[in-house]
Amino acid sequence: MNVIHNAVAIMAPFLLAAIGGLFTELTGMLNIALEGLMLIGAFASVVFASATGSLFLGVALGIISSVLVAYLFAFVSLRLKANIFISGLATNLLASGLTVVLAFKLFGSKGVIHFPGAPVLPLVSVPALERIPILGDLFFGHNILVYLGWICLVLAAVVIYKTPFGLRIRATGHDSSTVESLGLNPQSYQLKAILVSGFTCGAAGSMLTLNLQAFVPNITAGRGWIALVVIYLGNKTPLGILIASFVFGFAISISNYAQGFMEIPADFILAFPYIITVVAMIGYSAVRHYRSQKLAMRRDR
Amino acid sequence: MPSVDMREICKYYPESGVKANDYVDLSVKKTEIHAIVGENGAGKTTLMNILYGLERADSGRICLDGEEVVIRNPRDAVRLGIGMVHQHFKLIRPFTIAENVTLAMEQRKYGVLLDRREAWKATEKVIADFGFDLDPGAKIADLTAGQMQQVEIVKILYRHADVLILDEPTSVLAEQQIRTLFDTLKNLTCLGKTIIIISHKLDEVMSIADRVTVMRKGKSTAVRNTDEVDDKELSRLMIGKGITYGFKRDASVPGEPVLALYNVSVAERTGHRPLLDNVSFSVRAGEIVGLTGVAGNGLEELEEVVNGLRKVDSGRIEHRGLDVTNASSYFLREQGMAYVPSDRLRRGSSLSSSVLENLIITSRRSFLNRGFFRRKAMEKFGREILKHYSIDTDLYVPMGTLSGGSIQKIILSRELSAQSDFIMFSDPTWGLDVASAEYIYSRILECRRSRAAILLISNDLDEVLGLSDRLMVMHRGKVVGVFENDGTLSKETIGEYILGLRNDFKGDAGNDGQATMGRGDGNGGGIDDNVVGGGSSRDCSDLSPE
Ligand SMILES: Nc1ncnc2c1ncn2[C@@H]1O[C@H](COP(=O)(O)OP(=O)(O)OP(=O)(O)O)[C@@H](O)[C@H]1O
Ligand SMILES: [Mg+2]
Repeated sequence: MNVIHNAVAIMAPFLLAAIGGLFTELTGMLNIALEGLMLIGAFASVVFASATGSLFLGVALGIISSVLVAYLFAFVSLRLKANIFISGLATNLLASGLTVVLAFKLFGSKGVIHFPGAPVLPLVSVPALERIPILGDLFFGHNILVYLGWICLVLAAVVIYKTPFGLRIRATGHDSSTVESLGLNPQSYQLKAILVSGFTCGAAGSMLTLNLQAFVPNITAGRGWIALVVIYLGNKTPLGILIASFVFGFAISISNYAQGFMEIPADFILAFPYIITVVAMIGYSAVRHYRSQKLAMRRDR
Repeated sequence: MPSVDMREICKYYPESGVKANDYVDLSVKKTEIHAIVGENGAGKTTLMNILYGLERADSGRICLDGEEVVIRNPRDAVRLGIGMVHQHFKLIRPFTIAENVTLAMEQRKYGVLLDRREAWKATEKVIADFGFDLDPGAKIADLTAGQMQQVEIVKILYRHADVLILDEPTSVLAEQQIRTLFDTLKNLTCLGKTIIIISHKLDEVMSIADRVTVMRKGKSTAVRNTDEVDDKELSRLMIGKGITYGFKRDASVPGEPVLALYNVSVAERTGHRPLLDNVSFSVRAGEIVGLTGVAGNGLEELEEVVNGLRKVDSGRIEHRGLDVTNASSYFLREQGMAYVPSDRLRRGSSLSSSVLENLIITSRRSFLNRGFFRRKAMEKFGREILKHYSIDTDLYVPMGTLSGGSIQKIILSRELSAQSDFIMFSDPTWGLDVASAEYIYSRILECRRSRAAILLISNDLDEVLGLSDRLMVMHRGKVVGVFENDGTLSKETIGEYILGLRNDFKGDAGNDGQATMGRGDGNGGGIDDNVVGGGSSRDCSDLSPE
């Protein structure tokens, strides 16, 4: 069951980015900067990992870089009160430009840059358990960042539902004027949420490059946008996000697998993640429409 | 010694160029109920926002228990024992009562986790201590307006507030709920709390407050003990002149029917009970037809149907003989049907657009020159309207910064300037002070004089009784009574129809659309016909089923 095993590996970056995006979403902001933040993390982590020879430092510095850019994004959006969509777009443009420029300056290439010296992401391997069908594929033999994603998911669920911070985050998203009238500063919660998204996007990005031991310009290839879709499909809950990102991972994994023995045009395979995104969004809005109609019906009664 | 002492408070809003507070003084004694009254836009909310730290005063001093304090934000205010219930509820609807009450001062366990049980207990304790009746686990979205108000008060008490500010707490409540609220407030003063309450309704102020501060145009103009003034004097202090009670509604001979409904029905989606059940009536040129009833009995639906916002399932609507059933609002406006909606903030205006844009939106085409606006003409038109309707504002301020009364005046002047042959008003004076309300009434009567057909939907019995030539009552989606308002009609009679206590109205108003049946009992009920009661409260609220 390689398909499932691959699905879990493929979904991990979506999952991580979506967890961070969930925080910003809950405070009432549409965070389209996920893509750019991921890209920053992807670039910085592989560069630092190869420079220091330490996996931990590479990932940590990758995350820190992404958080710093997130801070800039937050400053522009919250303090300078720029339209968050515009500043998010700017963050994405900045990330894709900056990484390419830096790559060229540092390594003299605008294309794929290999880092053969970068440490390999270790796998958590338990051969005995990996042989269990399905469960083994789901839970064992993955690289450590996959597990980081799961830890983040559990942490996110606890923070969102079990802590005062989470309560305030959710309150901010529902009605920031209420939060303000209680003497809290809603913007400080929005800031923290953006920083959290910087953290998880940094981790998500580092997974992409460290897996390859290489940096490819715009390696994120829209994964940040798909993570946004995952948040909505997951109905803005941690569990929903887990399921939605698995569905994505699984679909992509299957299409990769099918490539092996079916005559599918390569272009189609490449387009597949985007196609399911569109289909999923249409399905999602149809379901929502149906639900809101049912709600209205209940209200009428 | 005064508990709250605000001295020479000034606040200028550069956005709207308004001196909202101009050397305002407010002195509130310990454990008293102190009312602040004043017209729309007098600066009452601004003053309280300053006390609660939501706005900073430009100058002035605030003393609490004799000590000068600086209140920079609501957190400071909460720390100093001040709590505020806002004009609009500040509650998170999907959260439970306990979550809302403890928000920002959460009960914790292990330092970082929410302690739901403690939150519940603490909320329960406040509820019990102060004699409320609420379930801490209930979701806000499931509560009535009265209960939400109680949650707001519980929220403040949980924060150990000694000074409670309530900004127009009664405007969303039914009569029974108001009485409960007042009992609660009196009870709270016995427990040592000080209460500041803002209200438009003078009779309420007289019944609950010990003292009252009157504000007019950003200034505090008087302080009185309530047992030493009557509401006549109060309203004189508020408006600056003795209040002229009402208008003469002179006789008018109605002309042709302009709008007619024939057996209009709207089914509920689940099909249990029709929202509108065979409604037939007509409105003729030069007459005002009043339509009243308790909320939830079809008034809202009728409002939407007549304006094309809701589709009918059967029946026919005609405007000057033209079938306009299920036509779009756009089409209806093109036909010359004007509409002043009850939801003036969302349906009647665009709050982020300027006053000018709001004024010209319905007549925008006449200002186009090859697809572009002619700014000069627009401004001229806008200024003329502001002058003609004596609205005191600038053309380019955002609508949202105006007070409720000004917003309503602008909507009204826009709709009236279109010179339509049919105008529907829905609760045109809701939340407005006496002077603004009278202004609106005089404009409505002016429309009638210019032979427009007017449909007035209102929950305010005094209003419909004072203005209407004919009066219809709706109950459960049906027209249960049509009365010629000839002076013999009493509020009590109408009340019985409104509540569905009487159902002897058999007439089919649909045949000619003008049937006039069911006479009032004729005891007058103390209401002078032809007179719009200016100062009284919305009497319909005590007829609501709760
Ligand atoms: N945030 C704001 N920006 C600009 N102008 C404002 C703002 N808030 C209030 N104003 C203006 O200040 C004046 C006083 O407003 P305020 O809300 O205090 O009146 P109010 O007495 O509470 O009236 P109402 O009875 O209608 O609630 C109004 O003219 C209003 O247009
Ligand atoms: Mg106010």
